[in-house]
Amino acid sequence: MQSEKRLRIAVMFGGRSVEHEISVITALQLMLAADPERYEIIPVYVAPDGRWYTGKSLLSREFYRLFPKQAHSLTEVTLLPKPGTGGLTVLTPPSVLFKGAPASTRIGSTIPIDIFLPVFHGQYGEDGCIQGLFELAQVPYTGSDMTASALSMNKYVCKSVLKEHGLPVLPGVLISKTAAQKDLVGVTEKILLTPELSRFPLFIKPCNLGSSIGISRVESRGDLPGALAKVFRYDESAIVEPCISDIMEINVSVRDNRGSIEASVVEIPVSETGVLSYEEKYLRDGGKKNGPSQGMASLTRVINPTDLDSTLRDNAVELAKQAFDILGCSGVARMDFIVDLKTGILYCNELNALPGSCAFYLWARSEPRILYTDLIDTMIETAIERFAKSLSLERNIELRALKR
Amino acid sequence: MTFTALLLFYTAIAVFTWRRLLQYLRFFQQEGYNHKRFYRWLYDQRLLDTRFTLILSSLWFALSVTPSYVIKIGFLFIASASLAFISFTKELDPRTTGKVRLVMTSRAQKLAFVTQLLFMTVASLTFYYSTAGATSPLSGFGTLITVALVQALPAFLMVSNFLLRPFESWVQESFKSDALKRLHSCAPYTVGITGSYGKTGAKAALGELLTQCLGPTFWPPQGINTVMGITRSIREGLNQHHRYAVIEMGAYNVGSIKRLCDFTPPQAALVTSVGIMHLERFGSAENVYRAKSELAESVPSDGILVCNGDSHNARRMATEHPKETTLLYGLQPGLGNLDVYATEISFTAAGTTFNLHYNGLKLKVVTPLLGRPALLNILGAYTMACALGAEPHYAAACLANLKPVDNRLVYDKQPKVSYLRDAYNSNPIGFNAALEVLKAIPASRRILMTPGMIELGEAQYEENKSAAITAASVADLAIIVGETNREPLLAGLKEGGYSDERTVVVDSRDEAFNYIRENGETGDLVLLENDLGDLHEGRVRF
Repeated sequence: MQSEKRLRIAVMFGGRSVEHEISVITALQLMLAADPERYEIIPVYVAPDGRWYTGKSLLSREFYRLFPKQAHSLTEVTLLPKPGTGGLTVLTPPSVLFKGAPASTRIGSTIPIDIFLPVFHGQYGEDGCIQGLFELAQVPYTGSDMTASALSMNKYVCKSVLKEHGLPVLPGVLISKTAAQKDLVGVTEKILLTPELSRFPLFIKPCNLGSSIGISRVESRGDLPGALAKVFRYDESAIVEPCISDIMEINVSVRDNRGSIEASVVEIPVSETGVLSYEEKYLRDGGKKNGPSQGMASLTRVINPTDLDSTLRDNAVELAKQAFDILGCSGVARMDFIVDLKTGILYCNELNALPGSCAFYLWARSEPRILYTDLIDTMIETAIERFAKSLSLERNIELRALKR
Repeated sequence: MTFTALLLFYTAIAVFTWRRLLQYLRFFQQEGYNHKRFYRWLYDQRLLDTRFTLILSSLWFALSVTPSYVIKIGFLFIASASLAFISFTKELDPRTTGKVRLVMTSRAQKLAFVTQLLFMTVASLTFYYSTAGATSPLSGFGTLITVALVQALPAFLMVSNFLLRPFESWVQESFKSDALKRLHSCAPYTVGITGSYGKTGAKAALGELLTQCLGPTFWPPQGINTVMGITRSIREGLNQHHRYAVIEMGAYNVGSIKRLCDFTPPQAALVTSVGIMHLERFGSAENVYRAKSELAESVPSDGILVCNGDSHNARRMATEHPKETTLLYGLQPGLGNLDVYATEISFTAAGTTFNLHYNGLKLKVVTPLLGRPALLNILGAYTMACALGAEPHYAAACLANLKPVDNRLVYDKQPKVSYLRDAYNSNPIGFNAALEVLKAIPASRRILMTPGMIELGEAQYEENKSAAITAASVADLAIIVGETNREPLLAGLKEGGYSDERTVVVDSRDEAFNYIRENGETGDLVLLENDLGDLHEGRVRF
């Protein structure tokens, strides 16, 4: 592809989820890795208040320390939910004092975009919300579509769908906040009367949040009410699972390479406490103390462990591909497994439709080796192919009922 | 040349007064722009200018002994330079330095601007008339007047405030009516909270509890409890989705709660205590009771009244102003009937554990909040939440997730020296409660750091002394900050059996922290009890 015909890629990140900052980190890494010969990167930062901004300064990590003080130097944009706009629509141009803003930033003008690359983690970005907007606007976008994103984000629905297809999942019970607020004792009874949940410790997770926020390990009946109250601060529904005492986590990244599903090497996240806390999962910074956080890419982990039982590993890789296929995912995802070390059973735990750091660190160690730059190329090519397919579908819209 | 030199000189004076003015403004702001209190503070401090007076007098002297015109001009330049120099080295910017900083609100900005304008006008006019026909550019009379004007800067500030008052009240009225409009259109169920102490903590706990148990709840942040503060937070934060509003109402005199109740009419009321705090403002304990009763009186008869049964007068209020639902909570069942109470209370580093009794239920509760005052707040909030329809088990479970309010007995575990932060407004009950927690949390050495308590009227000496007696049996070391209560605290410690080497006397909080930094050992636990603002700590010198 010639450089003057570079594709204009809107990399979207930030967002209204608790994983806002992790998304910024993932996006900064991705924008550095994307091939500048092939793509023109247009960063689109979704601030915590939900406003969308674009501007060159968003490429620098330093900028986010000053935000929102420097918001006036950016162009506020949006994507209109109608086909054919051709890109982002300017809502507010940068302040006149700010030099270097492109001339095309008048209110209502369009910043042309060829393809959208969402790099959100968690709510409103990884759960199908933004994908729904892309569908309405009829623009090509990378990663899983609306349904696959929504399915994999809701832990209970994801578990049910995988179970329906015969994949191994941990038993679990769904608790709604409304039910708990009305009758906490009844809800507690319901949990404890579930055969698989009759023994402690139990595990309580918010149903729709991607990170470890709101998660508790419950050791006794007395801790259950507090843990439920805690999880319902963050989510309307929670899932209660048995907590396996000796566990190992195995993660595999899976991607869609123009229709064929490929898996990366596996990784084993290492943790001292048994549960990866939010801090451990995202803020802990490998050997580099006090250095800038690198998100998922900096977690303490063993990639492609040689001492891992090969049957277990192959099993995980196979199940991950199946899950990716069943849920209808696309782009790059990561399937997290739990292994009960006592029984050796592997359980599908959760699927991240958009994993931290796009799991590039796993692909870089895979055979054949796939660099981040190539990973991004494939994501984009796959997305364009999917978009073209969707355009070739026949849309039989005949407005007749009202025209009679 | 003379003109240039004088222009420069007056610019230097302008810069100096601006810097000085901001410092006065900071204290004026801390005193709530109240002329009487500000004047009282100035009087107590005997605050007079020395720096400016010194420079000007030297200049006047130099000018009067020098016959040479060129040297006179030279002296003017030197004086201008020294004024500019001290403006930026001695007159520290109160917006960026100090404990309680100057916040440049639009009111403060206007006030500073008008004061500066007024000062410069008066200074220029007096200069013009005092130098008319004189041989020296600065006559003795001119010097005297300029010095007097700088000494009178606080007066300029107060005059400007007076001049701006009609404008301020016009702005405030329009904000108020805007807030009222929003309040009427959102129409949240409103709970009023008052009390001599504990109302801020109870507000935060109730706000959290209602949000978690019943639905979106609005509450003004921190200790906001005046019509203007509430107006501002309503305009900034209240929206259509809020089902409840929890409003803290401060009593500054008889009638102030009535005004707040007219502004945000409560359907329910929580009275955390009726004590004798700020007695000097009210005149008598009966007046305090009357002032607080205005809240209970404003609640309609089919509303809810929740009172702290441990407080004699709060209990009396429940009897004298009963509503359809009237509930009492407390920690002392011996004082009479209690609908909600706690037993088997124990404090640990992780928080407070207790059994919560309500309506025949006995629930085991763990909360990260520490101390009896916090526990009382929790009980009050819990009682109100249940009265409003929260499920008792769920509400009790939510107590485990409450967050401690900054500086109100917060345990801060550190690898070396750990802290119990209780720097917010200390009172005798809070002081003793903090000592109880200090005693309960494991530590190799317990240190008390305090400037003592203030605003206790005639009882101040005795209350500080008796708190120090208790402290002597709990703390291994006491650091006394400042002069304000040094005497009673030392006397109390001594009476409690302290020897001299166990007390450290310092002049300021910074000095105390330096001491801890240098002498702290691993496993130390420091209770930071009370922190006096700049208004009371040490003396200000210009």
